[in-house]
Amino acid sequence: MIGKIKEFLGLDIKEDKYSLADDPLFGKISKEKKPDFWVKSTCGYCGVGCGLYIGVKNGKATYTKGDPTHEVNLGTLCPKGLSEHYMLYASNRTLYPKVKKNGKLTDVSWSEAYKKAFEGFKKVQEIYGNNAVAVISTGQLLTEEFYALGKFVQLGLDTRNYDGNTTLCMASAVMGYKQSFGSDGPVGSYEDIAKADTVFVIGANLADNHPIIVHHLMKNRKNKKIAVIDPRRSKTARLADIYVPIKPRTDLALLNGLAYIIWEQGWYNDRFIKDRTLGWREFVKHIQDYQPGHVAHITGIETKELYNLAKLYAKSEKSLICWTMGVNQSYQGTDTVSAINNLAIMTGKIGKEGCAPFSITGQCNAMGTREFGFTSSIPGYRKFENPKDREEFATLIDVPVEMVPDHRGYKYAEIIEAIDRGEIKALWVVCTNPLVSFPNQKMLRRALKKLDILVVQDAFMSDTAKIADVVFAAATWGEKEGCYTNSERRCNKANKAVEPPADSKSDFEIILEFSQYFGVKELLFKDWKEPKDAFEEIRKISRGRLCDYSGMSYEKIEKLGGIQWPCNEKYPNGCKRLYSEDMPFEHEDGKARFINAHWEPLQEDISKEFPLILNTGRTVEHFHTRTKTGQIKILDDLAPEAWCEINPLDAEKLKVKNYDRITISSSRGKVENLVVKVTQRVAPGTVFVPFHYNTQLINILTQSLFDPKSGEPNFKQTAVQLHSEKVPKGIVLKENIAGEISYEATKEKSSEKNKIEDKINIQS
Amino acid sequence: MSAVESFINYKAKTGMQCGNYSIELPKLKPGEQYRFHFDATKCIGCHCCEVACNEQNNNPFDVKWRRVGEVEGGVFPNVSQIFFSMSCNHCIDPWCLKGCPTQSYIKLDNGIVIHDDEACIGCQYCTWNCPYDVPVFNKERHIVTKCHMCFERIENNQTPACVQACPEGAIEIEVVNKEEWLKSKIDEEGNAPGLIDARVTNSTTRFTLPENMPKTLEPADKDLIKPAHKELPLVFMTVLTQVSFIGFLALLLGDIASKITSLPGPNFSMAFAVFALSAIGLPLSALHLGRPAKALSAMKNLKSSWLSKEALFLGVFTALMGVVTLFYYFEVEGFLRVVLEIVTAITGAYGIYAQSMIYKIPAKPTWNRKSTTYRFFSTGYIGTLLLAAIETFIGNFAVVNILLSISILLGSIQIYLFFESQRFYDTVKEENPFYYQISKAKKLLENDFLKLYNFRKVSLPIGAVFLPLTAVIALNAGSSSFAFLLIALAVLLSFGSELVGRLLFYSSAVKTGMPGNFFAGNQR
Repeated sequence: MIGKIKEFLGLDIKEDKYSLADDPLFGKISKEKKPDFWVKSTCGYCGVGCGLYIGVKNGKATYTKGDPTHEVNLGTLCPKGLSEHYMLYASNRTLYPKVKKNGKLTDVSWSEAYKKAFEGFKKVQEIYGNNAVAVISTGQLLTEEFYALGKFVQLGLDTRNYDGNTTLCMASAVMGYKQSFGSDGPVGSYEDIAKADTVFVIGANLADNHPIIVHHLMKNRKNKKIAVIDPRRSKTARLADIYVPIKPRTDLALLNGLAYIIWEQGWYNDRFIKDRTLGWREFVKHIQDYQPGHVAHITGIETKELYNLAKLYAKSEKSLICWTMGVNQSYQGTDTVSAINNLAIMTGKIGKEGCAPFSITGQCNAMGTREFGFTSSIPGYRKFENPKDREEFATLIDVPVEMVPDHRGYKYAEIIEAIDRGEIKALWVVCTNPLVSFPNQKMLRRALKKLDILVVQDAFMSDTAKIADVVFAAATWGEKEGCYTNSERRCNKANKAVEPPADSKSDFEIILEFSQYFGVKELLFKDWKEPKDAFEEIRKISRGRLCDYSGMSYEKIEKLGGIQWPCNEKYPNGCKRLYSEDMPFEHEDGKARFINAHWEPLQEDISKEFPLILNTGRTVEHFHTRTKTGQIKILDDLAPEAWCEINPLDAEKLKVKNYDRITISSSRGKVENLVVKVTQRVAPGTVFVPFHYNTQLINILTQSLFDPKSGEPNFKQTAVQLHSEKVPKGIVLKENIAGEISYEATKEKSSEKNKIEDKINIQS
Repeated sequence: MSAVESFINYKAKTGMQCGNYSIELPKLKPGEQYRFHFDATKCIGCHCCEVACNEQNNNPFDVKWRRVGEVEGGVFPNVSQIFFSMSCNHCIDPWCLKGCPTQSYIKLDNGIVIHDDEACIGCQYCTWNCPYDVPVFNKERHIVTKCHMCFERIENNQTPACVQACPEGAIEIEVVNKEEWLKSKIDEEGNAPGLIDARVTNSTTRFTLPENMPKTLEPADKDLIKPAHKELPLVFMTVLTQVSFIGFLALLLGDIASKITSLPGPNFSMAFAVFALSAIGLPLSALHLGRPAKALSAMKNLKSSWLSKEALFLGVFTALMGVVTLFYYFEVEGFLRVVLEIVTAITGAYGIYAQSMIYKIPAKPTWNRKSTTYRFFSTGYIGTLLLAAIETFIGNFAVVNILLSISILLGSIQIYLFFESQRFYDTVKEENPFYYQISKAKKLLENDFLKLYNFRKVSLPIGAVFLPLTAVIALNAGSSSFAFLLIALAVLLSFGSELVGRLLFYSSAVKTGMPGNFFAGNQR
């Protein structure tokens, strides 16, 4: 009672809670949160790989602060990084291993959870064969954990059907690099982005998704031309000198077209082509189909602008192309990546300062799984189909060579399809949330119901964990030790700052303990006790490979603020860029290949029923499926739900305004209750919705269309219709005389003109 | 921890302030102060500054000292999207400081405007006053808090949190020569789309804006309409004191008139009634404070705060009315009482004037009108109505006729002012610098508060004119009891109407501020 009166009178203004205290490292900071000590580490969100310090007070993380001596971020962090410590104390942490009992997930002991999963897997493998167990992992474990998991899955569980969620984002870049250069591995450095004279940003919204890379992009700004190629005028587009509003998924045509102009104008690098590439003659023949007039028609970019872009790229001394999901998440992703590489090798814009075809990764350690994850290749970028590679690897890790698989199993989407067919009966999902991130959700959910057993290993009770039969309670960033490799091949050290909460364990521990049940721990992880043991083996097996860790040590990584591989005797402090003059390409002849791939129109184009193209993407406040950021109030408050960006012309047709609610549908289903945001940042006929939200699950609409080479989903172009309250039937397309339909609303036309045209169309 | 080395003095290679935890600022010469520079060409709207600010100051997620807003203009693909990050502009003439009744704002020698937490009583007047919507009330602390440019960090050559956190170097600390700035530069570099003219408070923040901005730039939250706070204690306090004042004025006139005419003089019950209104109303205002225990310190800043003036003068007015009421109780008549009444009335008049001046602030365009002052006085028609009711009860019908006439006169003014404000809302043009605030207020009235607004439209003419007029007719027709009934009804209805009107006055007052973001608005 007295307390209440005091509270009412406002006697206590909590001066102490809001006062500052002196910290020896960071100066005046909040007294209440002032850490007892700081732990140097690396951010666990995206692939930029920022160095940071975690402040720990009374065993709890209270601060994350950017490391000013780290080359990647120079003391800054994005809003997710700045608030990362809250993620550890989210209310949706898994905390205890769980087993489904009477349809309800119940906390159990580790041995019960392991046993249940083991028996489930064993039973399925006995009846249906080893490959009836599939594993889908992530891009967010530590490299040591990826290596342990890969070894266990491929050699212990002995199933080929192992893939990561990286297939949803990076697979096309991986396959594109492999096609062109003979190996995966992003070519450049952030320093190249800083030092380039010309940067093309294709299908990448760096400002929202990689804010810290923008820091590098904006360096040397006065002497730099930036072209952003994106159907949507993103936050990044506004930083550009030239914004190129390309028609959805016509980038391959554009790139081939630019190659044509460079060839036609003789702007190519004859010596580089002769010395370091193969297939030029066929390539020249191939690009004859991409003459500027034709390309202008396909891409919607004027011929003049095409010449302008080609000249800018070819004639600048230092040209760099960087890209992310707009390129990768496409039916033609792999070939589009190779088309970018084509431009680089025909002009020799590779292996030099400020030059690179540069794929920027999404997750904190997508690279780690590419290098040593054992999904799309044998650890150390070795090829499954190469007997020499298999034998070398078997010898290095001391296992019989027959154990090493000679082919890659099903990719992510193929695994889901195989589950749907009844071919795969057990699934182990590690640290990913397909129930939000995978396309064509209805199909996915139907398939998952057919499983005999679903095991989910996650630090958060994601949508997928909630439907699991067994849940392994994992630790997350800040609670475990190991390495993350960022987009520029920089291997950073992530350190443990606090203990994993409750009964949760690091993924490393879980994998090692679980492997015991299968009797393979001795064989695969002999004497392994901590991540460092895995790291030492990684150093050993990567010696002499492109992703060479042999010259690294934990201490050295920390001292240098991360090391860019290869790191060995030749490059003791790492290597800024690949394929410089003294570094041959990874094809056996040491030469890069020109890849001749033709542009194809959209498989699912607009139709009368679905006249709009849906593009999905991200926002700076959230990471992936919001299992982490959705729990952090300051972030979630800024973007608490999904929204639908609509051009004012379309909004007018639908009679909607800002904050109205709308339904969006494709042939696969509908999503209701989306907030309308009317904006000129999307072209008429296109809409944008972020994919983060399980509350407005946009992946219900996206299609089961995958790049045949990489298996990456075509997330970015889906034919949809919008249904407003006032116009429930949605947008009606203009019908041409020939019976073809087309979306006709160009920038010059005023809305009034459109109205008149609509009337005419109705009459005709 | 072995790898951890002190990097307090680490110099970022870029030479920029961002990313760096230490800062070297030049020593200030006379006439100079520190200020923010915000470069809109660099900002990418990542919200790092917002998060870093809250992390630095341990503020809960809904107390934001720094915010990021967004404007958009043009036609696809030639679109301008511009972000603004803003905290306090550390103005040369800070309205927060001017208006603060407790002198809780201090402009340091280096120009930084800081807030003295202990002195603050949580009246939140500064949150109205600041046209940039900077000070923010922290419920947990019962007080207002705001950006202080991390002055304690600056004093120790440490970078303010937002400046350190911005990955693009869009926020910087600079030194400004105040005289030069005010001479002309402020007009060129102190303004930004969606913000009030920098001259209003002589804001010091320098903005670098993109070249070739489209003429029309619309805030991302242009259609996001949130009602302002209801301020219930103030609704009652203002209406009751205003009614009390006009009632007392009528009492004074009646006292004088009784000396020179044959009309009967006022009596104790009338004096008590008008006194009681203020005596109840005034203390109610303390309820809206974060710290009611410190209510009396609201009179500290008589020099520049209308709120202090209001508190003092209405306080004295009420106390004097109490004395006058005692005079009536002990039936002390004569010259002394009239003089005392005149003094009381003058005090009250200034009190109500000061009260109205509280609301005449550029940050609240629907308040910042002459009619606010008129309205605050004319609301008092209820006072004369109330006295008329008492006189009808007693049987002084001649006085009743006069009182009702005054009521109808004042009531008519009130009706005029109401419809005048309606026309003001209806005729607002996009060219008006406060277009968004005024049109949002209109939308609030016509959507969120439609029922109350309709009640106000109907109840005001009935209570203020129709019923009193009917009462005059009834009275003169000889039916005093019916007249009494009508007057009593008029008092009740008018009270209801004025309380509702005042509630709408507060809750539809959309503030100036900065352009917001789509979901969170301007986060206030």
